[in-house]
Amino acid sequence: MKTARVIFEDGAHKWLAIVRDSTRPEFIIDTNEYLVISDGDAILLDPGGAEIFPAVFSAISTSFDPRRINKIFSSHQDPDVISSLAMWLEFNPEIKCYLSWMWQGFIPHFGGGADTFVPIPDNGMDIVLGSQRMQAIPAHYLHSSGNLNFYDPKAKILFSGDVGAALLPPGDDNLFVENFDQHIRHAEAFHRRWMGSEKAKRDWCTRVSGLDIEMMCPQHGAIYRGADVRRFIDWFSRLDIGVLKS
Amino acid sequence: MDNLRTAGESGNELRRIVRINEEIKSVVATAFKINLMAMNAIFLAKRAGQSALGFGVLSNELRRFATDLQQQMSTLRETTYGSVSTVTSLLKQARTSRILNRTRKESDPAGRVIVDQLLRQRDLSTLARSKEQLAALNRRLSQMIADTTQLVELGSVLARSAKIEAAYGGGFSASLMQVSSDFERTIGDIQHSLEKLTKHHGDSRA
Ligand SMILES: [Fe+2]
Ligand SMILES: [Fe+2]
Repeated sequence: MKTARVIFEDGAHKWLAIVRDSTRPEFIIDTNEYLVISDGDAILLDPGGAEIFPAVFSAISTSFDPRRINKIFSSHQDPDVISSLAMWLEFNPEIKCYLSWMWQGFIPHFGGGADTFVPIPDNGMDIVLGSQRMQAIPAHYLHSSGNLNFYDPKAKILFSGDVGAALLPPGDDNLFVENFDQHIRHAEAFHRRWMGSEKAKRDWCTRVSGLDIEMMCPQHGAIYRGADVRRFIDWFSRLDIGVLKS
Repeated sequence: MDNLRTAGESGNELRRIVRINEEIKSVVATAFKINLMAMNAIFLAKRAGQSALGFGVLSNELRRFATDLQQQMSTLRETTYGSVSTVTSLLKQARTSRILNRTRKESDPAGRVIVDQLLRQRDLSTLARSKEQLAALNRRLSQMIADTTQLVELGSVLARSAKIEAAYGGGFSASLMQVSSDFERTIGDIQHSLEKLTKHHGDSRA
């Protein structure tokens, strides 16, 4: 069973993290989903795979009417990110799905029609949510060739998709990174193998270093807070990537 | 729960249609041989000429029958292809229903109310529409199976007459008898497949 936990709240502006599904079958990768609500407008970040839809839906419905989700942000095209799209559209056919222009012709295989998608150009764009402006931040080739992060300047939260992802051992259920050095061991193999471009990595590190970030939320594993965000960027900038395990 | 049953039912329907499609394919494959046999009968009748006039008349009938059968088979095949898209959309809906039912089970009362509302809507719209599609497909199939059975019955009568005429074929009697018997056996095979098809098609609809 997944749970929805409030990680930021300021008046009508709120972040929910939908995390840790202990009942999820072992053969499916564990994912985090995030719901950002602002003045009644709601965007779901990386809604997850079709198979975990029931867990995500039920977790959200304990604190928010899921039919009011009117936007979806898909960091990239992977099935663990967006294959539940058709299910969300069952509840609200008007949902707009924001994603890299590259995947506009691919994701309809998971669901959605001609009016569902809002293509994000390579240099990113602003996404209006309630009275706030969110930002789609380029993170191409990390790991997907059309890949974006989502930055909320008000909450100072960066949703980083697969960047910062850690595949934690069973039982390691902390919402936040508690011990960076221990945590990062579970992220290392993933970043070495999945991330392919040194240049893209350097671009990303420079770009996000310019943002004011209090929390960095990955699609897999625990959330980085405070100084751990900087630690992650430094660690990543030094990491040798694009290597096969020998 | 009602929707759970619907999901299970559409799963059965899918398996049934796939099986029927396979059976139709075997009917089509057997019917293909009929054409060659009819050509062979015409060729033999020409060679026999005056000594097998009755068979000559019949061989033309056989040829016409073969053409009609071929026509019927291509319509049948088209329906088979068409049913694949119906089946695919049903499959997708069955998966959606399955996930929705799981969602319902896992949700607390607030979520369950929302899922129930959607399930009711789906029952009225999407599912009703696909049930209609499926019913139309079944009606079309029934009609075609009935038409084909009738046509093949005619083929069976022709085969029996051909055997009788073959006996009056003089020196060609043995080879005319051979071709008539082959014809009769193949018609028998088609009839057998059609009976199975009729049974399976009728079974699940009862
Ligand atoms: Fe991915
Ligand atoms: Fe992922």
